[in-house]
Amino acid sequence: MPETRLLFRDIDVPGVDGIEVYEQRGGYRMLRKAVLEMTPDAVAQEVMASNLRGRGGAGFPTGRKWSFLPKDGRTRYLVCNADESEPGTCKDQEIIYRIPHLLIEGVVLSAYAIGAEDAFIYMRGEFKTGFRIIERAIAEARERGYLGDNVLGTGRRIEVTPYLGAGAYICGEETALLESLEGKRGNPRLKPPFPATAGLYGMPTVVNNVETLSAVVRILEMGGAEYAKLGTERSAGTKLFSVSGNVRRPGNYEVELGKVTLRELLFDIAGGPPEGHEFKAAIPGGSSVPFLTPDKFDTPLDYESLQAAGTMLGSGGVIVLDDRADIVDASLRLMEFYRHESCGKCTPCREGTMWLGQVLARMASGEGRPGDVETLADLCSNIDGQTFCPLGDAAIGALASGLRLFRDEFQAHITKGDGPLGEVAR
Amino acid sequence: MNAENLQKAKELLHRFPQKSSALIPMLHLVEEEFGCIPEAEVAVVADLMGTTPAYVESVLSFYTLFHRQPTGKYLVQVCRGLSCQVNGADDLSRFLYEELGVTRGGTTDDGLFTVEEVECIALCKDAPAVQINMEFYPNVTKEQLRAFIDKAAKEVKSGA
Repeated sequence: MPETRLLFRDIDVPGVDGIEVYEQRGGYRMLRKAVLEMTPDAVAQEVMASNLRGRGGAGFPTGRKWSFLPKDGRTRYLVCNADESEPGTCKDQEIIYRIPHLLIEGVVLSAYAIGAEDAFIYMRGEFKTGFRIIERAIAEARERGYLGDNVLGTGRRIEVTPYLGAGAYICGEETALLESLEGKRGNPRLKPPFPATAGLYGMPTVVNNVETLSAVVRILEMGGAEYAKLGTERSAGTKLFSVSGNVRRPGNYEVELGKVTLRELLFDIAGGPPEGHEFKAAIPGGSSVPFLTPDKFDTPLDYESLQAAGTMLGSGGVIVLDDRADIVDASLRLMEFYRHESCGKCTPCREGTMWLGQVLARMASGEGRPGDVETLADLCSNIDGQTFCPLGDAAIGALASGLRLFRDEFQAHITKGDGPLGEVAR
Repeated sequence: MNAENLQKAKELLHRFPQKSSALIPMLHLVEEEFGCIPEAEVAVVADLMGTTPAYVESVLSFYTLFHRQPTGKYLVQVCRGLSCQVNGADDLSRFLYEELGVTRGGTTDDGLFTVEEVECIALCKDAPAVQINMEFYPNVTKEQLRAFIDKAAKEVKSGA
């Protein structure tokens, strides 16, 4: 099955980054319909019926997340997580840069549905150009009354404010993002309380990913029940997959969940491995998830099938490596990332990523010592499930699976002797 | 900060439901104007925010896009994400270090170039990717970098 373009339906239409072409393609019709003809609850019901799951990585059902907001009359906030930083993931970037009004419409629709007057789009600091694109899109939408103090003359206020982060992967974790949006260091918060009850400025808050909020527009167009018919029962709709690494046609591809296998995505859609090479392994959901080897490439791309295969759908960032890739080098590169991005708040993550990085570095430079492979496995198990936030588990996702799948290759990096004269006498 | 940015900074204080949110946007203004966050500006920002310089330091030190030392006129950031690495990112970094005679994070003596290797910049499908002064460049080659270096150096000469 080829691509099923829902969010990307109009992405190649010239000028669709501007409001006029976006409107010509039917843009803002759903916003108009929702605000003028539907109650906020009716909009939320469509999202609930769609079975949409969060597209940022965790895959939590969006409708349920919204339903957790307490009905206590306090100010509510909507925050769009546009801190796209998971290595291998570049899908939100494409929505922001090429079809920004889809995001803006989804944000205003969702803010309306949950009863938020203020919505924020928290973008990673590197998206400086994207920030200007979103600022311009907001200005265009404001001119036409789609947001601001008096949305489409209804007297309802919905304001959208973009916010630029400043370089920190951890701010993609929703509570760290909220800290950063409040002007603080991006340290994750203890949960509970969850953002639904105590989020931005301590108020009830929903945090949703760019792709999730963009999908809300299409859910309204199709109706939640129709959207739910796409994909599988537990993985409804379409999903954007970023394919990168050693592959002929890297790119962002949108497919119906559960209807396309990883093999079809990598070969039929992305063109297969570079000439003269074979795939060695793929990370299907961003750098935080376990590797799959080609014998598992027939796994359908949906949440439950990938989980059954021992990995995760995550963000949909598919990094694929071919037979030239050294698994120790790749593991080292990923570990350096997590070591750099650990916020340092808790010990297993801060110290663990440092030690893992050091051991991998000496193995990669040909100075691996006997016992190093065991040390890596031991360090992984001391991080697994032991950290304050998901970054620790993310750091070991690929490595722990690599140690199982490619143990011989790790072992081959251990030098025969472990002293300056070679083998040490027992 | 110059008068224009000072005005913008004051406006930021009222931009968000709570004033605290203005801090990071304000630091972006400083970084843009100075190419780093100078000590004296930390005090200015602290004053505007009604907090201490130490608190401002604690926040800005968390974020990699705020520099403490001035960067060159061109801040060249080579993405070292895994997808970029398997597509030749290390070759690009090495090329820049050799051509410009700097080490990682270093600035050329003429203050023209700073070279950094940065973590994934979300351009994985266009690997190897490079960012120059916060603008993205996809599928970068050594030839492109060579031409960029030559052109930038010439501009400076003709300007002087």
